[in-house]
Amino acid sequence: MTYRSSGVYHQTYAASHAWWQTNFVRAKMALLVLFVATLPLYANLYVISVANIVLYTMLSALGVQLLTGYCGQITLGHAAFIAVGAYVTAMGVLFWGLPYPLAALLGCLLAGLWSVVFGLPSARIKGFYQIMTTMAAQFITVDFIITHYVSRVGGREHYFSLPPGTITIGGWPVDSEVKVYYLAAVLTFVCFAALANLLRTKVGRAWIAIRDNDIAAEAMGVNVVAYKLLAFFAAGVLAGVAGAVWIPSLYFVSPEHFQLSWSVWIVGVILIGGVGSLHGVAFGAIFVTVILELLKLAVIPLAEFYPALTERFLYLKEAAFGLAIVLFLLYEPRGLAYRWQQLKNYFNLWPYAY
Amino acid sequence: MNTPHAAESRPITPDLTLPKLLLETAQRYGDGKVAMREKEFGIWRPITWRRYRDEVRHLAVGFAALGLRAGDKVALIGHNRPELLWAEMAALAVGGVVVWLYQDALLDEVQYVVDHSDARFLIGEGQQEVDKGLAVKARCPKLERIIWDDPKGLRGYDDPALMSLAEVRRLGQEADAEDPGAFARTVARGRGDDVALLFYTSGTTAKPKGALLTHTNMLKMGQNLMAVDPCGERDDFVSFLPFSWIGEQMMSVSCGLQAGFTLNFPEDPETVQHDIREIGPQVLFSPPRIYEQMVRTVQVKVLDAPALKRRVYGWARKVGDEVAERAFAKKPIPGGLRLKYRLADLLVFRKLRDHLGLARIRHAYSGGAALGPDHLRFFHGIGVNLKQIYGQTEIAGISVVHRDGDVKFDTSGLPIPETEIRISAEGEILSRSPCVFKGYYKMPEETARTLNDGWLHSGDIGFLDGEGHLVVFDRRKDVMTLADGSRFSPQFIETRLKFSPYIKDAWVIGHQRNAVTAVVCIDAGVVGKWAEEHHIPYTSYPELSQKGEVRALVAQAVGHVNQGLPAAARIQRFVNLHKEFDADDEELTRTRKLRRAFLEERYRDVVAGLYSGSGDIELDTTVTYEDGRVSHSKTTLSAVDAPGA
Repeated sequence: MTYRSSGVYHQTYAASHAWWQTNFVRAKMALLVLFVATLPLYANLYVISVANIVLYTMLSALGVQLLTGYCGQITLGHAAFIAVGAYVTAMGVLFWGLPYPLAALLGCLLAGLWSVVFGLPSARIKGFYQIMTTMAAQFITVDFIITHYVSRVGGREHYFSLPPGTITIGGWPVDSEVKVYYLAAVLTFVCFAALANLLRTKVGRAWIAIRDNDIAAEAMGVNVVAYKLLAFFAAGVLAGVAGAVWIPSLYFVSPEHFQLSWSVWIVGVILIGGVGSLHGVAFGAIFVTVILELLKLAVIPLAEFYPALTERFLYLKEAAFGLAIVLFLLYEPRGLAYRWQQLKNYFNLWPYAY
Repeated sequence: MNTPHAAESRPITPDLTLPKLLLETAQRYGDGKVAMREKEFGIWRPITWRRYRDEVRHLAVGFAALGLRAGDKVALIGHNRPELLWAEMAALAVGGVVVWLYQDALLDEVQYVVDHSDARFLIGEGQQEVDKGLAVKARCPKLERIIWDDPKGLRGYDDPALMSLAEVRRLGQEADAEDPGAFARTVARGRGDDVALLFYTSGTTAKPKGALLTHTNMLKMGQNLMAVDPCGERDDFVSFLPFSWIGEQMMSVSCGLQAGFTLNFPEDPETVQHDIREIGPQVLFSPPRIYEQMVRTVQVKVLDAPALKRRVYGWARKVGDEVAERAFAKKPIPGGLRLKYRLADLLVFRKLRDHLGLARIRHAYSGGAALGPDHLRFFHGIGVNLKQIYGQTEIAGISVVHRDGDVKFDTSGLPIPETEIRISAEGEILSRSPCVFKGYYKMPEETARTLNDGWLHSGDIGFLDGEGHLVVFDRRKDVMTLADGSRFSPQFIETRLKFSPYIKDAWVIGHQRNAVTAVVCIDAGVVGKWAEEHHIPYTSYPELSQKGEVRALVAQAVGHVNQGLPAAARIQRFVNLHKEFDADDEELTRTRKLRRAFLEERYRDVVAGLYSGSGDIELDTTVTYEDGRVSHSKTTLSAVDAPGA
């Protein structure tokens, strides 16, 4: 249960389940919204572009968190569904003349359905074998279907270019980093809010029951297969949102953006952030992105003395990421979100220890 | 500190009664304001003033339909629940007299009170109370009906005297529909000097005496207390102490109706501390044990905290104590100290008040027994405005209270309005006010001895200090004199001992003897945890209490207290008792005061052992269990010479 200060009490269940119960929390959230909304006013373009990567990482990892962290279905093919979202949205805008929001909606829906297809085996298998089937989604979707067939649609070779101005929302062109930032921020907020609430419903509780023990959940009357597929669908839709947000920021779409490495990367994000926590998604995304940027900043001056560093940066990045995961699994296995919780407890319980 | 928005003060006219005031207050607020809340299944379910009035109305008409007439006695027993408060108000509305029993009263006590008060109805919370009622019914010929509220476990009960409160309500609704004016007429018949409550005082010595209090007594008392410290209509009050305690009646009924604040009923007796914290009341009135428990909780939890937290706490407490001492002495607080106090408040006290549920407290009162100076200093140090109250049931609760900013730890403060305090030639405290009771029920000699020309003889010894503050010693019988003629107050020493988290209860002996000694009951939880941490194995309370390490631990606490006592009053020897004092064993009253005469008799061997100088005391004891079973056991206690004597 969340910590409440003295004098906070409720006369209805609705009030006692409200997200933001005290003025302190409301002020905190208002400050966060204010910070996100005004960031472009004082931050330079570089910071905004990093923020965009953070938001995209959050949106990408959100679906993984749902599947792995809340429903217990380990996935290593999530980038495939992000790709479906991105490609369907792009094709909708480029070839079918759909307005961007409608195309994005279609992208989310198809990504969700496509995810259900690869969720089907989960009715029979779990654990290690399931990881293999989700990896199959990665290879079949991105390396086979998209690379060999979809990319050739329209004769643009391996990528679809989306020149600035192609993507508009009701006449408002999304053609700059700042605009992408706002689009991503709004969608991230909506997705977080939606998932947070979904997890408190009957559906969310069913997922958590399946994660904790699928046999017990079934014994209690949870339709395990239906809820697993629903989890795959919801995760796919969230991936679709990530894909739709991704395309305006790069002006083109390419299969290279949705490789297995990205699927692994976002699993790493939730491992570092904390499995089974929405805070974890945010903390993990911020942590890995910012660490990576700091690493880059460190490499640039060093490159003068060791030019090889620039060439090998790509490997350095992967190595740092791997090291981070190893260290987290060793010393902080419950992720940053747990540490955050502990920190809050420390001050909430002050000056006691319990 | 925010001052409350007080409802306009209603003059107490001679014909005003509690039910009339309820109707007025309910009229004023209707459904627009919450009269009470009960915590059930995790949320505080609200009951508006209008619903409160309607429930009382239906029950009152129902009681009348069952034959309850003005002047009839209704006994009530149970935990604090809205339903029982409605039943009380309903009985008062009909003109009945309400007799409250302690929820944990033993059969004999229930029987004595029900029989002596001539109660016709006994209203109990549930099965446990119904069982008590059925058990005493044969010996209480005037008892006609036993009414219950909670149906749990009562399915098989078919005694014709039994009836549910819901049934009474249904009867009332029917009768009310037939004659809607009846309720208003019945209430209008009430007069201020009608008897409202019959309070059986928990005698520390003799059989309980029933004090008769009128509507005016109760109303004036609330008014005069709130003239000193106004309560606002938006205040929250937690009703968790037994209704059979005058202080709870005073706050929940008298002040509650006049100020219109919201009563909050905890979910369960076990969750009281948590529920108080959740509500964060503005006003709290409790006997000292509640505050002692709070201090103990803080001390124990801090003992378990990591070094950094402990050190910050220790520093803040030192600053807080210094500020409190200066405030008590009315000395100015230098700027540097003020600044340090600000910091201490920010770092520790704010949080501490939040943990204790005192975050929003404006006035906290302690009454019913003496609160130790260490406890008072502690609360003022952490920024809680704790004040002592002096009074007794016979004066409807209180007559003397500390004023804000004029708190002294050895006094009880100044008389409330309309109250006179006088000290008789023998040093006895006499008081006179519109709240003085009518007399004891069916005890004319006792009444004559206590009431003299409107003056209430308290039986307490005290004096008025230079500023008019009342200083209360102990009960007259309890100020003790050593064989060499030097006087000491055992209660004072006991409250100081109880400031140690390891000591739950203490009994100081020495009257007509050559030295002061003490019997100590260790706190099972705290000492048990301490023993675990120090790898001291034990199986039971008796064994734990006699462990050498535990004796040394208590000796340290006793030695600490001895340092602050005059040489003659220092504790020479003490012994850890093998059990905690318990009201069921008649060692304490239901309000947890020591029954010294009984203890002296029961622990004759222990006392003899303490004064004989031998190390070991052989003991043959009897234990009474809650269901009435009795068991015997043999124990050996070890007496300890106290350090610092």
